[in-house]
Amino acid sequence: MSVVEYAGRRRVRLVGLAVVAALAVGVVATVAFDVPLDRIFTVGYVARSMELAAPITLAAIGGLYAEKSGVFNIGLEGFMIFGAFFAAVGTYFAGGSGAVHAWAGIAFATALTTVLAVLFAVLLIRYKADQIVAGLGVWFIALGLAPFTASVIWGSRNSPRIPSVGRLTVPGLSEIPYLGRIVFDQSPLVWLTALVVVGSWVFLYRTNYGYWIQAAGENPEALDTAGIDVNRVRYATVIFSGAMAGLGGAVLLAHSSSFVGTGQTMVDGRGWLGIVAYLFGNYNPIGAAAAALLFGGVDMLQGQLQTLNIELSAKLLELLPYIVVIVVLGGWGKTRVPASVGEPYETKD
Amino acid sequence: MFDATVLERFGIALVSILVAILLGLLMVAAAGHNPVVFLNNLIVGAIGSERMLARTLRLSTFFIVTGVAVAIAFRAGVFNIGVQGQFVVGGLACAMSILWAAPYLPSGGLGGVGLMLIGTVAAAVSGGLYGALPGVLKAYADANEIITTIMLNFIAIGAVSWLITNPFREAGSTNVQTEPLPASVGLPPVVFGESGFSVIGLVLTLALVAVVAVVMTRTRFGYDMMTSGYQASAAVYSGVDAKRNVVATMTFSGAVAGLASALFVIMYQGRFLEPASIHTYGYDAIAVSLLAANNPLGVVPAGLLFGGLNSATSYIQIYSDVPVQLIDGIVGIVILFVAVPELFRMAARRADYGGEDE
Repeated sequence: MSVVEYAGRRRVRLVGLAVVAALAVGVVATVAFDVPLDRIFTVGYVARSMELAAPITLAAIGGLYAEKSGVFNIGLEGFMIFGAFFAAVGTYFAGGSGAVHAWAGIAFATALTTVLAVLFAVLLIRYKADQIVAGLGVWFIALGLAPFTASVIWGSRNSPRIPSVGRLTVPGLSEIPYLGRIVFDQSPLVWLTALVVVGSWVFLYRTNYGYWIQAAGENPEALDTAGIDVNRVRYATVIFSGAMAGLGGAVLLAHSSSFVGTGQTMVDGRGWLGIVAYLFGNYNPIGAAAAALLFGGVDMLQGQLQTLNIELSAKLLELLPYIVVIVVLGGWGKTRVPASVGEPYETKD
Repeated sequence: MFDATVLERFGIALVSILVAILLGLLMVAAAGHNPVVFLNNLIVGAIGSERMLARTLRLSTFFIVTGVAVAIAFRAGVFNIGVQGQFVVGGLACAMSILWAAPYLPSGGLGGVGLMLIGTVAAAVSGGLYGALPGVLKAYADANEIITTIMLNFIAIGAVSWLITNPFREAGSTNVQTEPLPASVGLPPVVFGESGFSVIGLVLTLALVAVVAVVMTRTRFGYDMMTSGYQASAAVYSGVDAKRNVVATMTFSGAVAGLASALFVIMYQGRFLEPASIHTYGYDAIAVSLLAANNPLGVVPAGLLFGGLNSATSYIQIYSDVPVQLIDGIVGIVILFVAVPELFRMAARRADYGGEDE
């Protein structure tokens, strides 16, 4: 049995095992401990899980584009922190308290993180920075400078209350049972994320440029021979990845009430989850979104259990997404990485 | 970035630090503060008095030991971003093993030494096991160690925090902390009075650095590790079991991270407390190790620099209005620059010196 075959069978076995385990836990929980499952997995739960998944999804899509083209952007977490912070700054200085100001903040954040991503891309591609170390550098810079600047502006590492974008309710359609609340009474940012997911999938697998991106990561020499500038493709994807992570941070802020700059900041590992999400999704935007939804769902679960007064420590429940990552990475392993990730490309002319 | 010569690395580290501090001063000025005062506070806060010097040396010992832990893994081509988690797990194991063993040992000096040995071993073993976990996942499940170690950091901090809040909390205390260690546990300060710093701690740290340097360069184990890092295929060809080597490296690295927390608990805190409130030694250690080009001996000056920077942070927090998160930002900028030796080579060529590598 070849290694690939074994991995394939193992994956099927694992998924099967996970489903059986989940069912067993469900049955035991309902029968033995009288846990009201129907009150945990409500329509609102699904809708809010999607809200939590949106920022992770956006960062994941950016990251997968960069890695597909051969550059590991490990700075996603840092770009998300900058995104959330810039969105708070933009919304704050736009004044007022309407959804319009929140949108202005999101636009401002995306624009500014794009500028930062250009600088990052130049360091990685033109100056051949060590991708891992430079990405960690971005994370540390964001962890320090975002709270620093927040303190300068607001006198505190946290921002004052920031208006949110609110929900987009389609009259009539939102009355449809189940589907209405999940689709037609949802944050417009979830819609935006869904659009980005589908758009990225089409772009990656159905356009020439998408094929160039994949070739830049798998076989840059061939792409070069075909007359396409490998590094130009990589610039585009790295800048896109920074912009998407920044947008993800901005979306995170728009779904909450203020920027939190204490501890690991409000981003709190979501950029890292983004990387894990596209690894699980096997570099497919739709797979990455599904994985992000899993993390969003697990994250939301703790809130659900708490509102039902189920005696489980909040501190331990907060660890669930991270434990899920370890378990799934341990069982699933790393998906097939593009062949030339991490190597700077030099034109041979 | 590992293709630079020793002299080049030294130059890059120095220039990175200077440029990062310069950028920091610009930001201080932009935020409406006086950069000259800030720079003065930075120096005074690090070495301005005996008390501050002791604080700098105390922090430096933690940065040196955690930096060595990171360097061990990086040298072998494995990224251990999980030193913070291994530190937290080791610290709790150290404090709890001492508390549990205390009733069975005499209360005098000899008992104290015994307890410290027990605590140190417990910290090294648990840190090593916590480090071995991502090593096993990498070797046998092909799971990216960067991701798993970061996840394990979050898990360690959350789980230990829960343990100290619930079963291991000091009876009747409102603070999230364990019981204090017995009075017989601790290192005599020798020179610096009540500063949480002991010269003995520094001597032990330097001894550890020497031991690690010898292991890395003079033993079969170290040789296998280093060749795996630089020449993976050559290592496998010469009979190194690559998988076992990854696990051994991560275990060694995690055990050293555990030793750092034993020092932290025994020399400084005298108990273990809320892990989220502990300084991120494990993360800063990455910068320390990178500045030192992952050389255990180079970690000593890099650790001293970080000790000074962080000691000054406490001073600046009290005596000025400049938000201290700036220092973390400066550390990040240092890391970013260290990642790009090519930038400096190009700058050097432009300036027309030292271009002989072309």
